[in-house]
Amino acid sequence: MQDMLTNPTASLILAHADDKLMLGHVQSDWTGLGPILEEDIASSAMAQDDLSHALTLYEYLGNTYGLDPDVIAFERDPADYMCCDLTTQSDEFDWANSVVKRWLMAAFTQIAIERLSRHDDADLVARCGRILPEQNLQVTHLERWIKRLAQAGPESQARMQAALDRIAPLAGMVLEIPGRLVNDDDGYYCGREEIFKQWTDQLQITLQDAGLAATFTLPDRNVEGGRRGKHADHFHEQLTEMTEVRRIEPGAAW
Amino acid sequence: MVAQEDIQTLLLEVPDPELPISIVDLGLIQAIRIESSETQCHVHVSLLPTFVGCPALDMIARDVHDKIAQLPEVADCQVEWLFDPPWSVDRISEAGRAQLEKHGVSVPGCQGGDGAVPLMTSAIPCPYCGSPQTRLDSPYGPTRCRSIYFCEACRNQFEHMKKVD
Repeated sequence: MQDMLTNPTASLILAHADDKLMLGHVQSDWTGLGPILEEDIASSAMAQDDLSHALTLYEYLGNTYGLDPDVIAFERDPADYMCCDLTTQSDEFDWANSVVKRWLMAAFTQIAIERLSRHDDADLVARCGRILPEQNLQVTHLERWIKRLAQAGPESQARMQAALDRIAPLAGMVLEIPGRLVNDDDGYYCGREEIFKQWTDQLQITLQDAGLAATFTLPDRNVEGGRRGKHADHFHEQLTEMTEVRRIEPGAAW
Repeated sequence: MVAQEDIQTLLLEVPDPELPISIVDLGLIQAIRIESSETQCHVHVSLLPTFVGCPALDMIARDVHDKIAQLPEVADCQVEWLFDPPWSVDRISEAGRAQLEKHGVSVPGCQGGDGAVPLMTSAIPCPYCGSPQTRLDSPYGPTRCRSIYFCEACRNQFEHMKKVD
C-alpha cells in the first residue's frame, strides 16, 4: 500500500479514482428522487458509470501493486484518499447544486482521463480509452442540463446562478496537486496551467450559451485540501457510510 | 476434439441477460482459444464489455463458462473481459440487428468501410412505424448500452443501441 501511496503516477490515478468513487456514491443517493423519470434513470446510470470507472482504475493499481481493488477503495486511512474539495462538497439535495458540481467535475475528468490515455502503459491506456467515451457522454448530458435549467425561467435561472456562485470558488481545487506529487518534479502536472485553461475555456462556452456567469481561479501550488488528505466533514460522513457494511462484516458479498 | 466453430455455435445459446439476442450476435466474443491434448482440451474465451459498468458482466462470464465446461472433452474453461479493442455497435451481427429491431430496439447503421465522413446524418427511424420523425428522450436508457427515443408519428417510445466513440 505504501509503495502505491508514495508513487507519483499512482497518486494521480488514485485522485481520479477517488473522485469517481465519491461522486458515484453520493449520486446514488438521488436514485428515486430524480426530477423526471428519465433523469432518475440517467443520473443513476451515471453514478453506476462513475463507480465502474473508479473500479477499473483501482483494478489497474491493484494489479500493479498486488492489492485487492476493494482494499484500495475502502480500507485506506481517510488522509490517504485524494478526492478533491469539489467532489466532497455536499449538494444538500438541491438539483441545481448536483448538476453544477457534476458538470464541473465531469468536464475536468474528461480532460484528465484523456491525458492519462496517452500514458506509456498499454493496460492503463486501454482502460482510459474505454472510460473516455462514457465520460464524453456525461459531459454532453450535463451541459444540456445546465442550459436547460438556466433557460427555464427567472426562478430556475436564479437558482442555477446561486449554485454556481456557491460551488465555482471551490472548483479550481480539482487541480490541487495530489498526495505525494507535491514534492515531485511533476511530469503530469507541469501542464497544470494548460489543463486549467483548456477546462475553463470549455466551461465558459457553455456558461455563455446558458446565460450564466462564473469566475474560476487556479489555486496556488501550496494550497492544501482534499487531494492531500485534508478533507471537509462531509467527506468523513460519506466515507463512514460507504465503508459501514465492510466494517460490520469484512468480505461481505452478494 | 472440440473445434472453435463448435464453441462459437454453442455460445449462440448464451443470451444477453438484458437483450433478446445471443452474446455472439451482440459481438461480445473477441477470441476463442483452444489448447488440446489427446484426451481433453482447455478453452479460453475473451469477451468485450459493452459498457465498463454493465452489471451483467459476471453473469455473462458465468453463463459462458458453464456452457462450455459442460462439454465432456473440456477439462477447464477460462473467461476474461478485455478493454481493447473497445466494443462498438458495429459488432452487432445482421441477425442480431434484425432481432433487436423486432423487439423495438433500433441499432445505428454501420459507418461504411471507406472511412469517408458522412455529409448528412439521418434521423433515427422508429422501429415500429419507420417514421424518421423521432427525437432523443434520454441518452441513458434501461441498460448501459441503450438510449431512449420518442416517435412523434406513432407516439411510441423506443430504445436505441448507443453509439459511443
